[in-house]
Amino acid sequence: MTDETTARTSAASRRPPARAIKGLSDRAVGWIFVAPTIFLLLAINIFPLIWTIRLSLTNYRANRTTAEVSWVGLRNYERILTDPDIWNAMQATAHFVIWTLVLQVLIGFTLAYLINKKFKGNDLWTTIIVLPMMLSPAVVGNFWTFLYQPQIGLFNYFVGFLTGADPSSFSMIGDVALAPWAIVIVDTWMWTPFVMLICLAGLRSIPDSIYEAAECDRASKWRQFWTITIPMALPFLMLAVLFRGIENFKMFDLVVQLTGGGPGSVTELTSINLKREAFEKWRTGYASAYAVILFVTVFGLASIYVKALNKVKER
Amino acid sequence: MAEVRLSGLSKMFGTTAALDNIDLTVPDGSFVVLLGPTGAGKTTILRMVSGLDTPDNGDVYIGGKPMAGLTPAQRDVTMVFQQYSLYPHMNVRQNLEFPLKSPLLRTPQAEIDRKVNEVAEILQISHKLDNKATALSGGEMQRVSIGRALVRNPSVYLMDEPLSSLDAKLRSDLRIELKNIQANSGATLIYVTHDQVEAMTMATHVGVLDHGRLVQFGTPRQIYEDPVSIYAASRLGQPRINVVPADLFGGAPTAARSIGLRPEHILQGEGEDSTVNRVEHLGDQTRLHLDYKGHDLITVTDPHTELQRGDRLPIRPNNPLYFDASGARLA
Ligand SMILES: Nc1ncnc2c1ncn2[C@@H]1O[C@H](COP(=O)(O)OP(=O)(O)OP(=O)(O)O)[C@@H](O)[C@H]1O
Ligand SMILES: [Mg+2]
Repeated sequence: MTDETTARTSAASRRPPARAIKGLSDRAVGWIFVAPTIFLLLAINIFPLIWTIRLSLTNYRANRTTAEVSWVGLRNYERILTDPDIWNAMQATAHFVIWTLVLQVLIGFTLAYLINKKFKGNDLWTTIIVLPMMLSPAVVGNFWTFLYQPQIGLFNYFVGFLTGADPSSFSMIGDVALAPWAIVIVDTWMWTPFVMLICLAGLRSIPDSIYEAAECDRASKWRQFWTITIPMALPFLMLAVLFRGIENFKMFDLVVQLTGGGPGSVTELTSINLKREAFEKWRTGYASAYAVILFVTVFGLASIYVKALNKVKER
Repeated sequence: MAEVRLSGLSKMFGTTAALDNIDLTVPDGSFVVLLGPTGAGKTTILRMVSGLDTPDNGDVYIGGKPMAGLTPAQRDVTMVFQQYSLYPHMNVRQNLEFPLKSPLLRTPQAEIDRKVNEVAEILQISHKLDNKATALSGGEMQRVSIGRALVRNPSVYLMDEPLSSLDAKLRSDLRIELKNIQANSGATLIYVTHDQVEAMTMATHVGVLDHGRLVQFGTPRQIYEDPVSIYAASRLGQPRINVVPADLFGGAPTAARSIGLRPEHILQGEGEDSTVNRVEHLGDQTRLHLDYKGHDLITVTDPHTELQRGDRLPIRPNNPLYFDASGARLA
């Protein structure tokens, strides 16, 4: 047994095993291992992207496969960029993304800051706060329609209780002015915990000894917050903004469940709008151009942002 | 500028007594070195004085005023941390400026620059001022951390092994600089080190700690020549004091269990024979490892000694230190 082992070991050390696979070089073996991944990436991401760009230059309709397809050049893009409905959807999306980010970062960071103070039961509080995030967006959308009910909704009752207004005098979902805020509130309720968790990771990454040094250097709590806590947690905060920003740019499920894009189309975000064009009106070529525009927008914004994020990290 | 007094200071961490009823008066303007093996409670004392930690019992007085409940800022102390604790997102200059940039002080920028450059010069880190604090060697970080304390003029400096990561040359340079700064400013300095040379050359007073208790406090000479116990005697002196059973040589007092022999307590050329085991040439001193009746003794000798391994050397004790069974010194 020992002899055998020694014999095998010495045989192995004489010849590197990677090169031994039927005369293939290391590089070839490497390619074989990554090939499935590359193939999948091409099949699922790159090919559809290219196909979409191709379709966006045509008047193709997916529900009329027999109809003749003709090239229309950039006409789809032209029409989209001059379509007031689409600009409305863009505005609704911007309103939604900006306000959810502002609220989630402010509330999430504050919660993380409080939870990070060493007090009894902060683990329990973390768990409780994180609960909404674990629910399905469809479920959340659904039960918030009940909370927003003017007659029996808890939300309306609560607002009424605080402000003295009549709970049934307003409808968060039915009112053109309130509906955009209704979706902001629900998304904030659901995803602030996520921002809090990331901020908490950032705050926990700052060692106590740094604060002790600052304490000895006579920095007030206020100054410690601005010169130590914020700069050191900033990369985490920016990461949270990136995640939430991209997620909310393509928000669909929650809002569809909650308002279905209404009333009218005030909460019809771009992704809902896009889905209508593509799969209700079946204007496939037009919708493809729409998708490309959205893709370029998100991709461009995210790239600029990631550059900034890297700069902050390097500091 | 300020006397530091600890009275009945105790601190428990779980079941370990990090500090056990410490009474200690650090005279105004003195340079006190705390000695003790790892875990003896040295850092804990500094944290109590600085106000980063609160004692379970006892009080800290600085300049005669009780410090209970006061923050480090209010105590006018500054601390060099054992683990440096630099601000990682700032560069070296910003780290050094930080203590001066307090909005309350309103130090003019020109004054800040002057101070920072002066301190960087002393610590030999001027060429690193624009480096990020994380892009430094261990010794450079340590010097930035000293610098952060030196830019201010507090009434008490606390330094936790500030020179431990530096090379021998830099260490001896900075020893002199620190001693000068302390002497010129007249501030009180409490200093933790494991380095005997630092203790002997810089200290006006030495405190010896053992498991959270202060076993002796006095001048370095007092601790060296007149230690209260084997433990205290072992803290200072190179080579270390030799401890052998009392009956090895004649003439010990009856209560004595062991004899402590420093090199100067061993007379060479008289008495009974020992065997030379090893001769170590260390440059500034030459050490002899002797075997005397089966006991190892280390002493020093003339740098140009002709002695070699295996040679015979008669020795006898000369005014040695006697200790009882518990290790306490016999007068
Ligand atoms: N925050 C803490 N929690 C629990 N125990 C602690 C804490 N700080 C210190 N101790 C314990 O208190 C004792 C004294 O620690 P201290 O840091 O003062 O030692 P020290 O003399 O500075 O040692 P070293 O030379 O290694 O720095 C040790 O036994 C240590 O384990
Ligand atoms: Mg320590």
